[in-house]
Amino acid sequence: MSDQPIPLSGRILDIGVRFLPHLVLFAVIIGAWEISVATGLITSIIIPRPSAIWSAIVELYITEGTIYRHFFITLTEAVVGFAIGAGVAVSLAIASSLWDPFRRYVTPYAVVLNVTPGIALTPVIIAWFGYGMGSKIALAAIISFFPIFVNTLTGLVQVDEDREELFNSLGASNVQVFRKLRAPAALPLMFAGFKIGLTTALIGAVVAEFAQATDGVGVLMSRFSFQLNMAASLATLLSMTVIGLILFYSMEFLDDRIVFWRRESRRAAASRARARTWAAQAKK
Amino acid sequence: MKMFKVTMLSTAVALAALPSVSFAQDTVISVIKPTPRSAVFFPLVVGEALGYFEDEGITVNLLPSDTSIPYVAFIQNGQADLAMLDPNETINAINAGANINTVYEVMQNAPEGIAVLAGGEYTSMDDLVGTTVGLVSDRDRAFLQAALDIAGHSIDDVQTVVLGESGPTLAAAIRDGNVSAISGSVFDWAALVANGIEIDTVTPEELLASPANTLAMNADMIEEKREAMEGFFRAWSKGMHVGATNPDAVEAMLRAAVPEEWEVEAAGVGLFQGVLPMNISTTERMGDLQADVWTSVQPRMLSSGAIKNVVDVSTFLNDTYIDAANDFDKAQVEAAAADWLEAN
Amino acid sequence: MAVQDATSEALVDTLERSLRNRRIAKHVGIFLTLTLLWELGSRMGWLDPLFYPRPSNIIRSFWLIYFQNANVWFHLYSTISLVILGWVLGSMLGIGLGALVGFNTVIRRFLKPYVIVLEATPRIAVAPLLIAALGFGVNSKLAIIMLVCFFAPFINTLSGVINVNEERLELFRSMRASKTQILRKLVLPDAIPVIMAGERLALTAALSGALVAEFIQRDKGIGSLILVYTRNLNMASAFACIFTLTIIGFLIFKGMEKLDHYIAYWKYEGGRERMSAKRKRTMVEP
Repeated sequence: MSDQPIPLSGRILDIGVRFLPHLVLFAVIIGAWEISVATGLITSIIIPRPSAIWSAIVELYITEGTIYRHFFITLTEAVVGFAIGAGVAVSLAIASSLWDPFRRYVTPYAVVLNVTPGIALTPVIIAWFGYGMGSKIALAAIISFFPIFVNTLTGLVQVDEDREELFNSLGASNVQVFRKLRAPAALPLMFAGFKIGLTTALIGAVVAEFAQATDGVGVLMSRFSFQLNMAASLATLLSMTVIGLILFYSMEFLDDRIVFWRRESRRAAASRARARTWAAQAKK
Repeated sequence: MKMFKVTMLSTAVALAALPSVSFAQDTVISVIKPTPRSAVFFPLVVGEALGYFEDEGITVNLLPSDTSIPYVAFIQNGQADLAMLDPNETINAINAGANINTVYEVMQNAPEGIAVLAGGEYTSMDDLVGTTVGLVSDRDRAFLQAALDIAGHSIDDVQTVVLGESGPTLAAAIRDGNVSAISGSVFDWAALVANGIEIDTVTPEELLASPANTLAMNADMIEEKREAMEGFFRAWSKGMHVGATNPDAVEAMLRAAVPEEWEVEAAGVGLFQGVLPMNISTTERMGDLQADVWTSVQPRMLSSGAIKNVVDVSTFLNDTYIDAANDFDKAQVEAAAADWLEAN
Repeated sequence: MAVQDATSEALVDTLERSLRNRRIAKHVGIFLTLTLLWELGSRMGWLDPLFYPRPSNIIRSFWLIYFQNANVWFHLYSTISLVILGWVLGSMLGIGLGALVGFNTVIRRFLKPYVIVLEATPRIAVAPLLIAALGFGVNSKLAIIMLVCFFAPFINTLSGVINVNEERLELFRSMRASKTQILRKLVLPDAIPVIMAGERLALTAALSGALVAEFIQRDKGIGSLILVYTRNLNMASAFACIFTLTIIGFLIFKGMEKLDHYIAYWKYEGGRERMSAKRKRTMVEP
């Protein structure tokens, strides 16, 4: 197995080939859309031409740059809200998996908090956290709490009985069982929960923005919508998607790095890296 | 056995044919507006209670929707026959290429205003300079800007914060002094008053004359739907007339039709008293379109950024239904209302 | 011998039941204490009636909306039927697509960008556009609910299908198991707990999706009722509606939990023992 690095030109070609079918599909869709609106096939006032959306994007991001402030605000609200929600959720899930009574007491209240519609909580949240970013962060945290809690708890509670027997027969303590068996086994599910929780936090932030906000991508979108500037409204919606994508890919990146043994290639790469270190050590 | 089957079959066929015979095609008129059946637009409730819509062969299908949906889209695709739009929404829609006509003015005194705490430290527009003013929604900023302009100030002289439509948030904001004033509408503060939070309005006179919540429709449908529309607006105008002559009857009808709004007595009464005068036209013909007012409000809308371009009002204001809408026997309506009140 | 087993079984059952009852009693006790404190706080003027309506008023509202005016039933029926229907449809879509994408790498490659983009977009922002496109009525509301509750089952199914235990897969392959056998005996059982977790999330998502839809299309449903009450500052009735939703959500959730324990019993401690004990009982009786 040669360790020679792949030449840059080869790598670019490789990426290009992978992306090509997607690009073609996308271009076809956009082309069909533009033609339909231009020829009058689609005449609704709410479906603008892709070219109009593009010029709105240019105006928002380049010419007038109105979007950056709102973009940053919504992004921060989602990330901070997620961090808080995840922190609380994981702690409670760990505690619940270790002590049964705790789980029995916490779960009903977690469920109650979850099924109480977020929208209904907004007046109280605004009263407690103010008219600014605080209330959006709070709602994001509250809404993202539950998926993370459920997934982490399920992951920690699911038991591979054979492995647990093995650990017990070797005289492992509770802490050891937790650290070496349950926690690692729970990671895939936990990260699945993180992915859901992160996008849910963004949703919470946007919901709070729609209810009451002066700044943020949600506010901007409804402002344009009201003025019937649908191209700008959709451009703002796309910005919301971009925020979501940034969040999603950050989490994917973390997932890859941390839950590595599920990916064969990473496992192989890790063992290759280890082999190299040992070989280097042996040489000394 | 054969006879039995034949009888069953013929009965079934007869029954199927019955609906189309006994109920002459009832036209459904779909109206898209922000509120469900409510005191806020009581002519609808009155018209239904006294059977006026039914007399005209009309069933009103209400589509209460949040304003985040572009109402105009619904008139265009035919899902709604009428849309309730404010003047700036109408102008924006026309600028965006919608072919609509405004055919009836539901309210002729703008329900919007700037409210302050009664007996508080803010008693005029000038007092608001340098303070934080609350907005019920983003769109109320334009109104605040217009008010400040008239008072000789600019929107930059105040801080604004959007409070949202939620009752408790608005109430707490003004009661606790988090904002000096609220730019919103009479619907927003009627409940405040009813819950013990007294307010005064400091709205400049010039802004009170703007029409609001006007009904617009697809211009291409004007002739096609003439009969139904004339019937609809005639029934609406009759409801309006009852409001002008017999408010007690209206109140009773509202209590019966929308009990939710009367669960807290004071709130129901406060709301009703606030919206009663709003729904009664000041023009000679009910629901008439005031072309000069529409023309005069556009410049300030333009300067505050609420609209992109000014539109010639003659291109979309259409009073073709107004005469028919006013063509009814007033005394008869008054009598019917009095009778209803007696019976209920 | 069999009789002794039966009596000891009965004893264990009664003990378990009394333990459960005590726990329920504890929860009820906590709830009542909190309510009394709330009422006291409200009467003393410590709690703002705008945000924390008095419990006695909330109870009065329950009476009003459920019995005297009885106006809530119509809206309740509308909301619940929407939630259930939307959840079922959304789950079917999510699980179906998740399994399809999990097994077929080509489809996964092509669908992935669009699914990711769709997931990254907050669905509440798409709701007004959906309504404007699909029109007023049940269709657009269902579409919103399906859109909202589709992702959790999809992602969890995908995750469950992909994250197959490598060693066990090797074992199955070494015993020359067919693809169907691998599917039925390895992939599916491993994936079921994950899928069930996704289902629970989908249900709560469906509830909030229904509310969002009703906040925008205000013709009927508990969501629109809440709006009317908050507008009029009738917070007691608004809270009565919110608690109604909470109770329903809680009941549905508990039901889901029971279902989960029944279907994916092997993943829960003592689950296997209980199942084999049950099977033994049914087998012993001739």
